[in-house]
Amino acid sequence: MNPEQLKILGSSFLGDLLKSVNLFYPETALVVTFLLAILVDLFTRNRPSCKMSGYVSLIGFFVTAIFLCNSPQGMSFAGTYAVDAFSIFFKWIVLITSFVIIVFSFFSKELFGEERQMGEYYTLIVGMTFGMFLLSGATNLILIYLAIETMSMSSYILAGYTKEIKRASEASLKYVIYGATSSGIMIYGISLLFGLTGSLNLSGINAYLAGNNVNHITLLISGIMIIAGIGYKISAVPFHFWTPDVYEGAPVTITAYLSVASKAAGFAILIRLLNSAFTIHAAGDTINTAWSVMKNVDWTMIIAVLSVLSMTLGNFVAVWQTNVKRLLAYSSIAHAGYILMGVAVMNYTGVSAIMIYLAIYMFMNLGAFFVVMIIANHIDSEDLEDYQGIGYRSPWLGVAMTIFMVSLTGLPPTAGFIGKLYVFTAVLNSGMYWLAVIGVLNSVVSLYYYVKVFRNMFLRGAEKANQPIELSLTVKVILIALIIPNIALGIWFGGLVNWANASAAMILK
Amino acid sequence: MTPENLLNIAILITLLPLLSFLINIFFGKKLGKVSSYIGTTIMGIDLILAVTVFVSKVFNTWSEYLVQNADKSLTYLASDAMVQLKYNWFSFGRLNVQVGIGIDNLAAIMLVVVTLISFLVHLFSTEYMAGDKRFPRFYAYLGIFTFSMLGIVIANNFLFMYSFWELVGLSSYLLIGFWYEKDSASNAAKKAFLTNRIGDLGFFSGIMILFFTYGTFMYDEIFGKMATGLIPFDSGTMLTVAGILVFMGAVGKSAQFPLHVWLPDAMEGPTPVSALIHAATMVAAGVYLVAKVFPMLTADALLVVAYTGAITAFIAATIALTQNDFKKVLAYSTVSQLGYMIMSIGVGSYMTGFFHLLTHAWFKAALFLGSGSVIHQMHHSAHHFHDHHTDPQDIRNMGGLRKTMPWTYATFLFATMAISGVPLTSGFLSKDGILAGTMAFGNLTGHWLIPIIGFSAAAMTAFYMFRLTIVSFHGDFKTKIAEHTSENKFVIVFPLVLLVVLSLWFWYSPNPFDANAGWFAHKLAAPKTAVPANLQWDFLLTEEQKTAYAEKTSKAAEAKANIKEALPATAEGTELHKEAVAPEANQGAKEAAATESKAVGELGHQENDLAKASEHKAEEVKTEAHTTETAAVKEEHKTGEAAVAAHGATTHEAGNAHAEAGTHGGGHYVNKFAEEMHHFHVPAMILSLIIAGCGIGFSFLMYQFKLFNPDALANSLRPLYNLSYNKWYFDEIYQATIIAFTVGFGKVLAIFDNKVIDGIVNLTGWFTKLVGHITAIFDNVVIDGLVNLLAKVTSLFGAMIRKVQTGRVQSYVAFVIIAIIMLVYFLK
Repeated sequence: MNPEQLKILGSSFLGDLLKSVNLFYPETALVVTFLLAILVDLFTRNRPSCKMSGYVSLIGFFVTAIFLCNSPQGMSFAGTYAVDAFSIFFKWIVLITSFVIIVFSFFSKELFGEERQMGEYYTLIVGMTFGMFLLSGATNLILIYLAIETMSMSSYILAGYTKEIKRASEASLKYVIYGATSSGIMIYGISLLFGLTGSLNLSGINAYLAGNNVNHITLLISGIMIIAGIGYKISAVPFHFWTPDVYEGAPVTITAYLSVASKAAGFAILIRLLNSAFTIHAAGDTINTAWSVMKNVDWTMIIAVLSVLSMTLGNFVAVWQTNVKRLLAYSSIAHAGYILMGVAVMNYTGVSAIMIYLAIYMFMNLGAFFVVMIIANHIDSEDLEDYQGIGYRSPWLGVAMTIFMVSLTGLPPTAGFIGKLYVFTAVLNSGMYWLAVIGVLNSVVSLYYYVKVFRNMFLRGAEKANQPIELSLTVKVILIALIIPNIALGIWFGGLVNWANASAAMILK
Repeated sequence: MTPENLLNIAILITLLPLLSFLINIFFGKKLGKVSSYIGTTIMGIDLILAVTVFVSKVFNTWSEYLVQNADKSLTYLASDAMVQLKYNWFSFGRLNVQVGIGIDNLAAIMLVVVTLISFLVHLFSTEYMAGDKRFPRFYAYLGIFTFSMLGIVIANNFLFMYSFWELVGLSSYLLIGFWYEKDSASNAAKKAFLTNRIGDLGFFSGIMILFFTYGTFMYDEIFGKMATGLIPFDSGTMLTVAGILVFMGAVGKSAQFPLHVWLPDAMEGPTPVSALIHAATMVAAGVYLVAKVFPMLTADALLVVAYTGAITAFIAATIALTQNDFKKVLAYSTVSQLGYMIMSIGVGSYMTGFFHLLTHAWFKAALFLGSGSVIHQMHHSAHHFHDHHTDPQDIRNMGGLRKTMPWTYATFLFATMAISGVPLTSGFLSKDGILAGTMAFGNLTGHWLIPIIGFSAAAMTAFYMFRLTIVSFHGDFKTKIAEHTSENKFVIVFPLVLLVVLSLWFWYSPNPFDANAGWFAHKLAAPKTAVPANLQWDFLLTEEQKTAYAEKTSKAAEAKANIKEALPATAEGTELHKEAVAPEANQGAKEAAATESKAVGELGHQENDLAKASEHKAEEVKTEAHTTETAAVKEEHKTGEAAVAAHGATTHEAGNAHAEAGTHGGGHYVNKFAEEMHHFHVPAMILSLIIAGCGIGFSFLMYQFKLFNPDALANSLRPLYNLSYNKWYFDEIYQATIIAFTVGFGKVLAIFDNKVIDGIVNLTGWFTKLVGHITAIFDNVVIDGLVNLLAKVTSLFGAMIRKVQTGRVQSYVAFVIIAIIMLVYFLK
């Protein structure tokens, strides 16, 4: 299209659409991947163990990554979808996680054990990735809702993918019911907000709130309802009830996926909602300036309460778990609590800290779930008691799990320490000492159950050393690939921090 | 070679031994004997690379190239042309932590020293350690030790230095305790580690003071900021304290008094390890550290350094006189020689101190490996006779080895000559330099005790080293074990020969009597001190530094004096015109002061320019007059005697003196100290020759020709003999005081720990459990229970503690809604 034609189109709807397409390449690539994966699956259906569809998805992710690298920035689709540094950072997290999860799936005995048709599995992961991409950039309430639905639909099916296992289908069913309720609450909140401000675009809402009087209580109710919908995605207490059941019932790969990618996307939209809709930004704001809240709704306190509840409940209940997957489920609730501390800060330092935390959390949590999956492949159990002696039976798994657990606890020199360090620093800088103290105390509690995992592996069951678990070379390579970022980011975190700092700013209009 | 390549190769040199470690630690069991070939080959490559770096750094001019690239990340230290790379490790708020590596001449030389000794030790051990059950592990440890040591060498900041410093501590622990089945070995390892920790604690505190003040770990940045006058807590004392604290690290690692006790015990490690750790690497690290931080040591700190070195040199030498264990003698000799090096740097003779580190590395490694050669044979021989009672390391069991081990004897004898300071050896060159340095220091400061100790230690060294040689190699075989020995294989003899060849004079200077004629003295000029002039020995300052300081102080004093003069006027003015006029008068006075001081400053500048111009004209005449004059000025400032009124006159005088000195010309010495050292070169040489000759002669008379009976002498000097033989009772004293106190205190703490802390911990644990339990119960009972309350009130208290969130999705939903209502209610 030549410049003249563009000029003619001007700011017309069509012009906007054409401009938006340029910004939509990564998502387009995902949609094409989605279609191709279905197509390939049709041709390879009679060979259930064929992973062709999975390979297509991986290639598709790769292409998406290339587009993401070169992605321009701007507002698209009539101001409903922002492509900014912030959303691109989250898209990277989602994309890397999706890629890793598909690779994990190739090794899952659970998934491949029953001559299961696996085509849809990959397809659904691609679809879910698409949903999370949309969620990272959505600036319109309807698009936010649609994006959450897109990812939820896929995740309901994926959670029950091993449908012959009772607890899996049960988990899936609970997830659907619970998800539908949350989604209903959220759309109710959205409609209230729309009714209140007459706008669906976050910038429009912001402008209306800045210029007009609205009913304080109604605004609060609608906000809390929307946050409840998002809170269910990030499994923050008290919207977390589905988490332990679904995490335990779903295949390990999906559990890992839900605990990392959907959580990241949920945080992206939570931050964007608070930042773009409910707070005012002056031109001279630095990254340490607190966003000024409109209409005296104490969002900070709401988020802080959710944060404290999530940390405390997650950690204290995790202490009593005997199933490793369930333990990690509660641990992921606790981590949502830590990350929420960064949201409660309500400034860009906090946002940057959250991004650092999520990037690191991705590596440590994926690592932990991968080890759980490999162990389950060999001993058919996820019970903590059965982990005794694993350290002797396979030093590879033992050492790797220890590193991931130490990283999750947040001890140096692992990456987890850096994540916690930045979040706590952001909280302390903003003056919320009480919140930081609760966070630190919770970290101490978490040490107890994380250590329990590798204590069982190394200090118990040494007599099982004569039943070694042999790992294939690929598994070892993946383990190393997951260990490296966990150590390396604990030492060279300058690059990540700079990237996160540069990505913390959002496009507002 | 470009600086980039130089640095890349330096990094490679450091990482290669780590590779050797990784290979041998992970695949050692499978490799077996092959691990030694891998380790030795890697070290061979490392050595070649190190020599490349050394040649290109030391014998090239870098400054031009570096100036061109000054805008890049590569920077250099102007005074020493350090090629260095700085890397932003992380930023945290305003805190920007940089790390990096840097190669100056010091580091380039040190790289060769470390890699060569390490290579020879690797080679030597292929034979010496053959048959050991943990053979590959030994090579792994050698690898990580070399890696850590090289890390210290190439660091250009305290952070890296400290990290590798600790790694050296760890790897030396592993090596010393290599035969950990022996209690003595594992105890020695612990002792070495713990003693070093004490020094490291000081080192760490020193680094923290510096980091707190300067906000960086980089040497050049710290020294640069220090030279502009920024010092810790604005106090000269604190700068001295920081210097001494950093020096504590060196005290630990280089086994200086009072932390020298670990080194002799560390002889429990395999003999090649002794050669590696105690000749060239770990113990040299301390000296290297002092050399690196030399610019930041104040006059007081330097004095502490000098005396610590001198005391160490003396005590260790006296102990070495009476020891009978072959390796113990060498161990104390090492401690004594390290004291020498430290003392040398402490008196300001930077070059000779490091020169002695280099020459000592070669001949001491030769001595240790020679002792290894002897002990190896004695062991084999003892084994042959199934004799497990005779100590194969006791020199009283040897004798006559000259006949059975000619190569070992010849090399050992030459190395002994080198350490005793016989002409034509490298040891003579460096020792002579150190003694001249101490004499110069004595003359300049009046601390004549230091040269006296230096000379007496030199005499003792010559004596005990020849005693060792004569008793073990000369005369008749004292046991049949000694008689049964034979010369070792090539891999053991070769390192000895090579090291001895390196101990000849011509490598360092064409003139066997003057080190200054050689490359070494020119390539390793002492760095300019960064300490503010009033805190440094006057004779260590360069002319520019002195001038700058004199100007600065006189200007300040002028301004002060003027303001003081103006003040009474102001007061008067205030009295006369109470309200309105007072500020004006004040203002006027201030202005007057400003103008005056400005004028004086300009005058000073003019004078200075004049002086500088004339300085260039005549370069050969000396500057004594000037130096003493300025020194006098400085002294006055220092003591505070300089009254305000006197300042004008003094400044004037100083200016005149400067001009005068300028006319008569500057010297070609960097500072007064260098000049003084030159004066003392010949006297020191003659004295040291006489003294070494006496020591050697006495030794021959006593042990070779048996003109005196050593036992009779020992009897007549029983208390002194006992003191020396029992190592001045240091271990006993420490045992009775510090260790006893620590253990006692530990016991008290243990009681406290058991009763109070454990109680608290248990309570906390119990409480945590309780809370966890309550929360769990809350989740299980209350939440599930609430739902059941909605559904069936009757089954509220069923067996649901263990039914964790099962099945009741409707309850979840209900609770979410309750939660939302509660949130709205409480937060509205």
